[in-house]
Amino acid sequence: MIEKILLIAFALVLFGWYLSALASRLDALHHRVETSWAHLDALLQKRASIALEIALSKGVDAATSLVLTAAAYQAREANIVERSDAEIALSQSLELILSDEDSTPSGIDTALLDSLKSLTEKISVGITIHIEAITSARHLRSRSIFRIFRLAGHAPLPMRYSFEDDIL
Amino acid sequence: MRKLKIGIVCPYGWDTPGGVQIHIKELTQWLIAKGHEVSVLAPVTTEDENIEPWVVSAGRPISIPYNGAVAKVIFGPLASSRVKQWISAGEFDLLHLHEPAIPSLSLLAGWAGDGPMVATFHAAANSQKVANAIGTMLDPLIERITAKIAVSETARDTLKDRFQTEAVVIPNGIDTSKFNGIGIRAEWALPNTIGFIGRFDEPRKGLSVLLEAIPKIVNEIPNLRILIAGPGDSADFSKEVPPQIRDRVTFLGRISELEKAQFFKSISLYIAPNTGGESFGIILAEAMAARSAIVASDLPAFKSLLEGGKSGEIFASQDSSALAHAVIALLKDEKRRDELAEAGLARSQIFDWNTVGEQILSVYEMSLVGNTKVNLASENRFWNRLRSND
Repeated sequence: MIEKILLIAFALVLFGWYLSALASRLDALHHRVETSWAHLDALLQKRASIALEIALSKGVDAATSLVLTAAAYQAREANIVERSDAEIALSQSLELILSDEDSTPSGIDTALLDSLKSLTEKISVGITIHIEAITSARHLRSRSIFRIFRLAGHAPLPMRYSFEDDIL
Repeated sequence: MRKLKIGIVCPYGWDTPGGVQIHIKELTQWLIAKGHEVSVLAPVTTEDENIEPWVVSAGRPISIPYNGAVAKVIFGPLASSRVKQWISAGEFDLLHLHEPAIPSLSLLAGWAGDGPMVATFHAAANSQKVANAIGTMLDPLIERITAKIAVSETARDTLKDRFQTEAVVIPNGIDTSKFNGIGIRAEWALPNTIGFIGRFDEPRKGLSVLLEAIPKIVNEIPNLRILIAGPGDSADFSKEVPPQIRDRVTFLGRISELEKAQFFKSISLYIAPNTGGESFGIILAEAMAARSAIVASDLPAFKSLLEGGKSGEIFASQDSSALAHAVIALLKDEKRRDELAEAGLARSQIFDWNTVGEQILSVYEMSLVGNTKVNLASENRFWNRLRSND
């Protein structure tokens, strides 16, 4: 009898250890989602301020300047709900203005354009890393053991922003 | 960007020639030139003075068959403890693991390390069955890696299939300046000379497809000559070549980096008849940088490297008549050859280390979390933390 109880207790401990290992795997993934978003967010903020600088540089016509300024401010001020649309709008305005040589206003400092270009590349890298973290977390959380034992606790399900699909 | 302390892990024997080793070596040299501090952990066969000062040996590699070739790898308790020692002594800001899905050092380092980790996946798929069997085993490791890099779209698709994970595509780097100002070598530059570089005894390099095409090409181009370079014994090589074309084929053996540049500059066309197993095709990038016109088989990696045919001619893999056809057409059309070479040269710039290195650095930058360093995973376990609090 005593052996049986011991065996069951041992199995329970083992199972508990397994659950805690699973939970800490998920916790690490949630942490990665947060840090990758922090990096991405910083880059996007930087992009908005470069867009603003472009908007305010000499030689840019009033209409272009207005479009860029509005989009950049929107992206900077947006709350979490509006953020995605604001970033899409900023991408579109930047693309509109910079897509081909003819429509690019001549007065823009080339250093500014270069830093925008390298920033854009970094943003797409940042998006890939962020999306990857989200997919991994969601993939792990989709396993039924996470639901049954509530291993995710109160952590919200990581979500993707729609701007991430079609940015730039 | 602040100066980083980076630990790079190479899974394959450092002193055996291979694409991954060359990639790591050149990346390290580029990073050091940029002022970062780098240490490379690799299996090393012979410890002599010629080895770079930044290489740390993890012991002697053993040979195992893998992905259609022999891989020199290392694992086991001794290697594992060397990895742990290296990580805890290194105080790295970041670990860069190469091929962590191969049973070797990178895999061990991925398990042992805790903190910012970047991984580069080089190879294309091995068999689906094997992949399914080991796929889920590696899931926890794949999760721990902060950012993944694939060297080509092909490698990225493999990664997606196997681990449902997304990767940033950054191509392999080459040093394009190596090919600047290099002249031709007269004896290699006869008219209608085509070239091939690779192991002749490795079937997936596709030399047999080229040899089969030669009689057909000779019918149209009587003065055709073929230069072949690569490791191997020339006596073994002539056995592979049918007698009727033997006098047209010259076997150069292994050539130096300088000779390789001269080789590309001298020949009229570079042929890449590979039949599979390629995930990037660094040799094509180099041929392009040397302004050589290219005919390559339609492997996915080659197709994307050559922009679907814009910067090099593409033929159906393993089809020797298609290859013959493409070669004849190009040898007869110098203008077209020139256009391809020019497009290739322009394309090759995106593979230069200055571009590729910056891209890798920006992945590093995005993987860092504040000032957290790489620790040993075991130090963060509950009971070990308790113990260290005593």
